[in-house]
Amino acid sequence: MLKLLREVFRTGEATHKYPFAPLEVAKDFRGKPEHNAVSCIACAACTIACPPNAISMETDVAAGTRTWSISYGRCIFCGRCEEACPTGAIALSPDFELAVARKEDLTKRAVFSLAACPSCGEPLAAAKEVAYVLDILTRSAASPEEAERARFLVSTCPACKRKHDVEQLARIGVERQMENR
Amino acid sequence: MTATTETRIGQPYLAALRKKLPHAVLEERWQTDDQVTVTVKLGSLPEAVATLYYEHDGWLSTMVGNDERSLNGCFALYYVLSMEGAQKCHVIVHALVSADDLEFPSVTPKVPAAVWYEREVRDMFGLRPVGLPDERRLVLPDDWPDGLYPLRKDSMDYRFRPEPTADNETYKFVNDSKVETTVVPLGPLHITSDEPGHFRLFVDGETIVDADYRMFYVHRGMEKLAETRMGYNEVTFLADRVCGICGYAHSVAYASSVENALGIRVPDRAQAIRAILLETERMHSHLLNLGLVCHFTGFDTGFMQFFRVREKAMTLAEMLTGSRKTYAINLIGGVRRDILGEQRLTTLKLIGELRAEVKRLIDILVSTPNFEGRVKGVGLLDPQVARDYSPVGPVVRGSGHRRDTRADHAFAGYKLIDMPVHTQAGCDILSRTLVRIAEFFDSIAIIEKLLEDTPTGPILTEDFAYKPYKFALGYTEAPRGEDMHWSMTGDNQKLYRWRCRASTYNNWPVLRYMLRGNTVSDAPLIVGSIDPCYSCTDRVTIVDVNKARSKTIAYKEMERYCRERTDSPLK
Amino acid sequence: MSAFISPNDLTVQPGGLSMAADVARMKGSLLNNIRRSAYVYRVDCGGCNGCEIEIFAAITPLFDAERFGIKVVASPRHADILLFTGAVTRSMRMPALRAYEAAPDPKIVVSYGACGCSGGIFHDLYCVWGGTDKIVPVDVYIPGCPPTPPATIYGFAVALGLLEQKLKAETHVEAEGEAAPLAHPSIPYDLRVQLERQARQMAGYRQGRTIVEEFLSVLEARDATPVERRIAKLAGGEGDPRRAEIFAELAGTFSRMLTGGTP
Repeated sequence: MLKLLREVFRTGEATHKYPFAPLEVAKDFRGKPEHNAVSCIACAACTIACPPNAISMETDVAAGTRTWSISYGRCIFCGRCEEACPTGAIALSPDFELAVARKEDLTKRAVFSLAACPSCGEPLAAAKEVAYVLDILTRSAASPEEAERARFLVSTCPACKRKHDVEQLARIGVERQMENR
Repeated sequence: MTATTETRIGQPYLAALRKKLPHAVLEERWQTDDQVTVTVKLGSLPEAVATLYYEHDGWLSTMVGNDERSLNGCFALYYVLSMEGAQKCHVIVHALVSADDLEFPSVTPKVPAAVWYEREVRDMFGLRPVGLPDERRLVLPDDWPDGLYPLRKDSMDYRFRPEPTADNETYKFVNDSKVETTVVPLGPLHITSDEPGHFRLFVDGETIVDADYRMFYVHRGMEKLAETRMGYNEVTFLADRVCGICGYAHSVAYASSVENALGIRVPDRAQAIRAILLETERMHSHLLNLGLVCHFTGFDTGFMQFFRVREKAMTLAEMLTGSRKTYAINLIGGVRRDILGEQRLTTLKLIGELRAEVKRLIDILVSTPNFEGRVKGVGLLDPQVARDYSPVGPVVRGSGHRRDTRADHAFAGYKLIDMPVHTQAGCDILSRTLVRIAEFFDSIAIIEKLLEDTPTGPILTEDFAYKPYKFALGYTEAPRGEDMHWSMTGDNQKLYRWRCRASTYNNWPVLRYMLRGNTVSDAPLIVGSIDPCYSCTDRVTIVDVNKARSKTIAYKEMERYCRERTDSPLK
Repeated sequence: MSAFISPNDLTVQPGGLSMAADVARMKGSLLNNIRRSAYVYRVDCGGCNGCEIEIFAAITPLFDAERFGIKVVASPRHADILLFTGAVTRSMRMPALRAYEAAPDPKIVVSYGACGCSGGIFHDLYCVWGGTDKIVPVDVYIPGCPPTPPATIYGFAVALGLLEQKLKAETHVEAEGEAAPLAHPSIPYDLRVQLERQARQMAGYRQGRTIVEEFLSVLEARDATPVERRIAKLAGGEGDPRRAEIFAELAGTFSRMLTGGTP
């Protein structure tokens, strides 16, 4: 009994002051994922990595948009999105004060425009993603021809690329036949 | 995995099995140096399991049902035995069940430990264990339609939600007592701790004659989810959520099952970090249980003190993982967070404080006169009952059996250290509590040892490719005992089958024997002493058969009675 | 028995409850005029325990929610606030509804944790209904997996109208000419990716990123000192042996890639 009393006095006040004073969380605490829409290229890496499907992406072909969204209500704060993001557009912050009365307030969205394939006009990918990849490839291209080739490969849709390849192959084939004659 | 003949552990067991049942063994396949799957004829299944279990110090770790009709036309059963005799290894007895008649001979009559597994495989696959006396559902809810077996590959989409077939519980509770008894149901909702479960105590006066319980109120369908919506890495985050207290142990067990199946060499530093985090988890879990023991013996100040000190372990977890729950740290091939110099120093400081503070609290607890009176000789688990049902963790160690996965089948960072195992021979709540106390201080020593010379190098390897239909076990010693996972890879970057067996699953069946002969007021304490993934229940209905009346009392009243032991609510 | 609920129609509700108008009015006055302790009853609808233990932690000494009169009670009949955890498993639907009906009106329903708010990681499984609001009307959502004790206290404060909620629904619309900036444009892309990957394998996605950013900023710096010497100084001057080890590994990769070898 005396031991217990001694322990109680030794401890003194143990309680945190929160919410009357801010509470410090550990360095690299995993709180609310903060999405920086400007850095986001809507590549969908986070939607694939997210274990509970809290992050999702929907494409509206008619409107020409791709909408990224996160539900903080479903998020498990694992940080896989941060790990998967190629541009550092999403990172977990120390913020834990997320309670809401309206469920809609748990959702954050970002709407991006789609780029169209220059050959057929069909939507291909988010315009920012195409621009970002082009930027990287142009910077590392050894020659203007290589840069132009990269531009074609990045901005053309898979169907048109296939068509282009088939046409090239056919032309080579015809040339070969001509040579053989 | 490239296991070579010279390094393989466990060959004597196979030789003995072939000698005893010369025509039963069809094939042996080695997953790792100390894991072998031996295929037997279906008719010899019970004999093969019983031979390994009783004649060669085997313990039943788990049983896996698998729908392999797309691979070989049959259903498969894998009885996993942890061999703890002279050679420590895992022998998995495998048999194929015909997809036409769906029947297999029940192992339970020979090895009682198989009872829950066989009930579960009937629920999930519709396989019929012939000779299994218990015909009740185990896992699926009462409102689930008959004839729909969730884990069959062709039964349903993982998202299908059948309309409820019933709006009330239809489960039949079993009472083996010979005398007339009073029925005391507890549950399924409860106040003090974790998950729901429904108990029914059969009492004669104040004495518990028998007990039965309905679990799996929280069955969500994780195993199906793992083989449908998720990829390999996502399942590690799902495995975290098997249990809110010892989730990290599941995550490590799952990750190592896949790593074992594919022969991935996980970097030593990642293995050490896994062990450090597992011990962090054990510290906060054991402190939780010690707090609850205080609570149930009416020592609430002690409960608050243990929870106050426990927060230091939570701070440690938050600092090392970014979340108070040691969640989201594993990937297949390693871990996601390193322990840098600054964190290493803070860890050492925190565990030093924990050691001193917990030591003082333990002194206070054991010198409280009421404490020993309440826990000594109460909730006895007979060592033979323990042998028959393969319980795990502090429950089995408190009954004198030297079983600890960390020592028997060293995994992760435990390969780098000498692992002490604590046992107590008292078989009672006191023994189990003393085992936990000793293990708490071991955890601190293990962390110190691993931080002293942590291996250098990377914490993650991505240098591997997934191959289809490889399978193996992965295991950990969670705070509550061995967690056993079995994974089979699929051909579409997803698991074909994930079987997860939590430690408490093996401890529930013996609880019935621990409750018998004790008084009603000790029931919450006994349930709490297996440190279940919850300790008690919400309401207590008392049906007095002798006096032909029934009465429901609040759980709080039951708990009050447990703590104060005056004014019996049964009167 | 009717047919299965199709996966494409998961919004079908398993017979949830709605609120009468007078009860809603009473609830409004409870929220505005509460002048006494608020009693909380926990309803576990199939959680993993994580939430339950964190609620426990919130009422124990370090966080001590009882400071604010928030007390966990043993029966729903005493409760002002019902705290629903878990994704609502099939087995717990009826017990949870019974607990809801046993609590006197007006009552506040708090949906606790990712599973309670929306089903969390289990949201579309066959044996769950996917969140508290599928069976009862919810007043406050506390996200988290699990919510930490301070997040719990914040949630209670929002439920009782003591604190304003911070989070608001937001929609960003891509602006004209918006472009994602390329990080470290002066460093060759392949080199940067290789260094980032190695840092992640050495120290994980978070600490590794911090470390590689330090390394890259040394590479980028406009400085008269030769780059090799700057890097050597970074590793040599590091007091933490583990960080020094990682810097040395990164430096090795850098020089191998610079001389045209494979990483």
